[in-house]
Amino acid sequence: MRIVIAEDDALLREGLALLLRAEALDVVATTDSPTTFLAAVDEFRPDVAIVDVRMPPTHTNEGIVAAVEARRRRPDLAVLVLSAYVEQAFATDLLAGGAVRLGYLLKERVGRVEEFLAALHRVADGGTAIDPEVVGQLFARSRPDSDLSRLSARERDVLALMAEGLGNTAIAQRLFVTDGAVHKHIRSIFAKLGLAPDDRADRRVTAVLRYLEDAQRRS
Amino acid sequence: MPHRAAAQDSVAVAPARPERARMARRYVRRGVRMSVDAIEHLVGGLGTAILALAAVLLLVLVALASVVGIGLPMVPSAAKAVRLAANRERARLSRWDRDLPLPPPVPTGLRGVLHDPWVRREAAFVAAHGTVGFGLGVLGLSLPISAVQNLLFPMYYWVLPPEAGGPGFIDWRIDGLPDALVVGLIGVGWLAATVALGPTMARLQALPGRQLLAPPRDVDTSLRIAELTATRAAALDAHAVELRRIERSLHDGAQNRLVAVTVLLGAARRAMVRDPARAVEILDRAHDSAELALAELRSVVRSILPPVLDDRGLAAALDGLAAGCGVPCTVQVDVAGRCAASVEATAYFVVAEALTNVARHSGAASAAVTVHRSGDRLHVSVVDDGRGGASDGSGSGIGGIRRRVEAHDGRFTLTSPPGGPTTLLVELPCGS
Repeated sequence: MRIVIAEDDALLREGLALLLRAEALDVVATTDSPTTFLAAVDEFRPDVAIVDVRMPPTHTNEGIVAAVEARRRRPDLAVLVLSAYVEQAFATDLLAGGAVRLGYLLKERVGRVEEFLAALHRVADGGTAIDPEVVGQLFARSRPDSDLSRLSARERDVLALMAEGLGNTAIAQRLFVTDGAVHKHIRSIFAKLGLAPDDRADRRVTAVLRYLEDAQRRS
Repeated sequence: MPHRAAAQDSVAVAPARPERARMARRYVRRGVRMSVDAIEHLVGGLGTAILALAAVLLLVLVALASVVGIGLPMVPSAAKAVRLAANRERARLSRWDRDLPLPPPVPTGLRGVLHDPWVRREAAFVAAHGTVGFGLGVLGLSLPISAVQNLLFPMYYWVLPPEAGGPGFIDWRIDGLPDALVVGLIGVGWLAATVALGPTMARLQALPGRQLLAPPRDVDTSLRIAELTATRAAALDAHAVELRRIERSLHDGAQNRLVAVTVLLGAARRAMVRDPARAVEILDRAHDSAELALAELRSVVRSILPPVLDDRGLAAALDGLAAGCGVPCTVQVDVAGRCAASVEATAYFVVAEALTNVARHSGAASAAVTVHRSGDRLHVSVVDDGRGGASDGSGSGIGGIRRRVEAHDGRFTLTSPPGGPTTLLVELPCGS
């Protein structure tokens, strides 16, 4: 797996590279600004980009903009965005073009190396990894009259884990229920959100995006 | 009202004789008190009227000099003299009954003075009070004096030669007691006039002050509101900018360091199994990063409100700044007691920012910081002997100083001619 890192904080950048290289992952370039990052994407053709949200010059959302631009140039590029704090507007900007090969994690998750590596691989393999914090915040902010409010507490748990990018089996393990029960919950979620049973994988993503849209309409 | 109440009482139930005597005594006491009060007010008004008269004369002089062209620079000083007279009247009227708030300081420039609504109204006030008010004051003083003189005349007329006449305008021959008693009767007239007219004259005399020295209404109130709104917005802006700065230094400093710590700890844990020596090395780096986080937290905290301000006060804090300044710098602080924390913090940052400018841009050989308090204003000045030419737009921290000072409803002036010296003056309301 070829990886490019974009992070303006030198210590953190080197720490990340050190961690990934120790896991025998191929960090092909480390960059400290949106421009050098995009140049590295063009030059090194990485499989995955790990991007910090706050980068020069204004230290606001340059990372998001750069990630969106990199995806425009290379639609098959997997992007894992790291953020110091949850900003739902960033998440919706990022996910506007779909949630495939996309991750949005709080920076401190990197310290839980096993989970971080799992998320990295999931994103690289075409999945989604959205931070539980992001999902939790979206739940908290969903409108009382929205579709989401009709979900039961358990269905919300399932949807939250889906948004994090977990598969049915992983969700069943987390919630200590059977695969069958998870299936049942997911069918119910799709029904309540009015998602037609066509493409199963797309529906999962759509359900997650429904959160984000809901939160965006609210704000 | 009390009169009518008394009259009704007497109709409803004819009061007993002692009761009527008591009421009469009360009535007389009230009349005496009101007259004495009126005379007191008229005399007090005469005092401020003399000041107003002096101010009017000064205004006339300055106006005449301005026609020739040499008077214009004196206009702001004349406005200050007018303000002095007006403030004495404000204080007098505030003691009397209604509280009249003091106006904002007289603007500094000629244009500002001429357009200031307070100054205009005060000019009108001194014109009215210095003439009509003065006349009423003189009259108010002479009425009771004449009354006393005339009333006492029958007792001492015999020591004077008959052709000397009586007191005041009485210049006819006084032949014997009957004539003297007539003079005494005129004294009764004066007394009656004093009692009857005194309170009205006192009110009349106070009228220009009440009308013209109160905070200007309508347009002028809205001006003040606009100014307050602007400074308040500036305060919020300065506040928001400050919060943004703190937020950023926390996020990009301490938080990133701590994230690095967790990343390195995670890496160390993974390395522990495979390569313990490597794990120790990574832990070392994590340790360094944690220490960096602490150092950055300290510097952020220090920049929010320097603890030295709290611990040892403004003087010690400014001494510390001067000691750290690249240019030799003297500090003179003459402030009794403490000001509000936000004011001290602002003064501290003004000096910090100004000294940074001195060290970076001025090329000065020395600088002097003085801070003193007069009344409820804190005056801060930073002077250097550098090359001058400092301005708001030169990318220095001057704009920041100005905004921060204006946010506190203070005043900021910068004098920095090319070639120097540069003088930065800041005036802050102390808020205590």
